[in-house]
Amino acid sequence: MAPIIRTVNLRKVYRVGNEKVIALNDVNLAIEPGEVCCIVGASGSGKSTLLNQLAGLEKPTRGQVFIGKHEINTMTENELAKFRQAHLGFIFQSYNLLPNLTAAENVALPLMFKGMPRKTRLKLAKEELKKMGLVKRANHKPTEMSGGQQQRVGIARAFVAKPKVIFADEPTGNLDSATTRQVLYRILQMARENNITFVMVTHERELAGCADRVITIMDGKVQSDVVVDEETRSRSRAEMFKDLVDLAPAEPQTTVPAQS
Amino acid sequence: MKISDLLRLSADNLRRRKGRTALTVIGVVVGTFAIIVLISLGIASNANNEAMLQSWGDLTQIQIWNYAYGSVGETPKLDDEMLETIRAQEHVVAATPFYSSNEINASIYAGKNERYEAYFYESYGVDMTALQAMEFQLQSGSWIPDGLNLGKKKIPVLVGANMGYGFQDTRKSWNSGKRQRWAGETDSLGNPVPPFVDVEKDKLTLRLMAYDSNGNEKTQDFELVVMGTFVSDTSKHYFTESGIAMRISDMKMLEQAYEKLSGKKNSSSGSSVIISGSGGVMREQDNGYQEVYVKVDDVDNVEEVENWLHDIGYEQTNSMTQIRNEMQASVAKSQMILGGTAAVALLVAALNIANTMMMSIYERTKEIGVMKVLGCEVGKIRTLFLVEAGSIGLLGGAIGVALSFAASAVLNNLNAIVAFFGGEGIDLSGLTSMMGGMAGMGGDVSIIPPWLVLLGLGFSMLVGVLSGLWPAHRATKISALEAIRHE
Ligand SMILES: Nc1ncnc2c1ncn2[C@@H]1O[C@H](COP(=O)(O)OP(=O)(O)OP(=O)(O)O)[C@@H](O)[C@H]1O
Ligand SMILES: [Mg+2]
Repeated sequence: MAPIIRTVNLRKVYRVGNEKVIALNDVNLAIEPGEVCCIVGASGSGKSTLLNQLAGLEKPTRGQVFIGKHEINTMTENELAKFRQAHLGFIFQSYNLLPNLTAAENVALPLMFKGMPRKTRLKLAKEELKKMGLVKRANHKPTEMSGGQQQRVGIARAFVAKPKVIFADEPTGNLDSATTRQVLYRILQMARENNITFVMVTHERELAGCADRVITIMDGKVQSDVVVDEETRSRSRAEMFKDLVDLAPAEPQTTVPAQS
Repeated sequence: MKISDLLRLSADNLRRRKGRTALTVIGVVVGTFAIIVLISLGIASNANNEAMLQSWGDLTQIQIWNYAYGSVGETPKLDDEMLETIRAQEHVVAATPFYSSNEINASIYAGKNERYEAYFYESYGVDMTALQAMEFQLQSGSWIPDGLNLGKKKIPVLVGANMGYGFQDTRKSWNSGKRQRWAGETDSLGNPVPPFVDVEKDKLTLRLMAYDSNGNEKTQDFELVVMGTFVSDTSKHYFTESGIAMRISDMKMLEQAYEKLSGKKNSSSGSSVIISGSGGVMREQDNGYQEVYVKVDDVDNVEEVENWLHDIGYEQTNSMTQIRNEMQASVAKSQMILGGTAAVALLVAALNIANTMMMSIYERTKEIGVMKVLGCEVGKIRTLFLVEAGSIGLLGGAIGVALSFAASAVLNNLNAIVAFFGGEGIDLSGLTSMMGGMAGMGGDVSIIPPWLVLLGLGFSMLVGVLSGLWPAHRATKISALEAIRHE
């Protein structure tokens, strides 16, 4: 199968005063459609930089980034905006919900940019919130919700437009370990249900266990690119999500741990 | 992203910072209010001036003379041919001389044994169609048709409303109080005293009196047949009050008859004008009608026609437009000065809006980044902030307009309001004359026409949008990466 994300000699150099910081050094990657991919590595190794290039948030110094057939590093800002509307979703570490919009309006935001009428998009947003177990919070403002709840709104927002790829930079970085597992579980479940490719940066090694592919970055280079075998992955997922029933008894979608 | 979405997001953001939005809006309110009230004062001043000019005379009329003092070139002959040229000019509705002959020595007689006598010098030859175009009114009778012929010795005329009071009783001595009667005179019982002659009924005899070369008096009689009576309007011409108007052709016929009578050979169409030549020598020249009135279709075209008349050589002209322009210029001048002050207020408001938008954008840097990451195009972000800035302007403008109406109502009814609270009347003529207007006309002090409302709203919104341009541009430059950056 053709990879959905591919980089060719991707290089990113930051200039700080007279010094050059080589954040990415000739990175070549290929991620398959539907894969759950974790990017791990030490702090400052270049994980975020890589993710930003993949999502087209920043232009590479040199090299190419393909998503599907599209070379995104040559796109203009408006082409990229349209491309993101159509194909990409994003989950942030600090949730980044707009403070004066309700949960449902926040989730509906990507659909609004697409030009969908308010009624339709709010309906879709509420469906998405329901999957996240947040249907009761649909009309709450972000400040009225906990971190875990806000991040679930953030996830609903990433999924609502049914993108091909979702990027996440340490989506659980601000959450405690129980909530982390709960949130991650939902992401994985949703990604699989919709056959969405999920690329996540994390520096928690244990989270990487549930991924299909683990890319390790060191000093701006790919140190290792490992496809996890079926058995290992099932085992670590079962281990990781085993107590989820107790974590969230009120939310029916989480009662059955997912197995591939 | 739909317009309704843009409006909703903008409204949300403005509401989020109520205090700051309110302060910014107040700035616009003050600016708009100041500008609208000042313009409304100017409009009222102009309207009052216009009303005053109307009362002085017809604004669409130009008077021209066949001579000019200190003229460089020769003034062209103002004859019937020239009148046709003038009538053919664009925007000219009619042109007529008020042609009086100072050659003719004549009197008008009426009553038994020609007891009553009136002078002839308030008689004019005029173009009847021009009089109608110039809105002269008849209170009775009808205009004299061009082709009307009553017979050789009968001249149809129109008389002034009180022409009858021009007759004197020749039986009374010159210093007798009974020799004359005048309009408005009342007897001991308070009843109005009628004139000696009822000009519409009594027979009027016009007698030309000349002396031939031998010094013998010669006379010739004509009958004046009154066809109609004017409504008195001295702002048009004083013959509507006490004079006589006839066709130009009849006046010329009388002139020729008089010349024949006196044996003199003289001009056939117009008065002789004495002009001082370059060498100080007095010379006589026939230059057509001395004075001609030109009626123009619209006040706004008077200046154009007057300029054209200057161009073809008539330097000596007079119209209300000259005064009107001076009045308007003086109103405009004071409006410029006061309007400039108001514009400064609005400029401050504009800076205020720009500042508010800048602050708002700095605060929302992360949000803007997030919106970009979620697929919001640059143009929509710009529009969003322009709509916000424009809304501040429009809101301020709307409140400013509303306040202006309130202020206008208060100014226009100040005396009534002050009287209601038991105070003395206030003279606002100072305010009016400050605007270059004529005080004391009793009209409104402040007038806000619909276009001024639209102008106020449009302008304040434009100020908002313009002030938002730079901030909105800055917003579009914010990187999507701001969404990921941690504080
Ligand atoms: N905007 C920038 N300007 C200059 N240098 C930068 C910039 N962004 C990143 N860098 C540098 O690039 C390198 C990689 O940074 P990056 O943020 O990708 O690390 P990371 O792997 O995400 O680390 P962490 O796990 O701490 O988030 C670092 O040395 C960092 O200092
Ligand atoms: Mg990072």
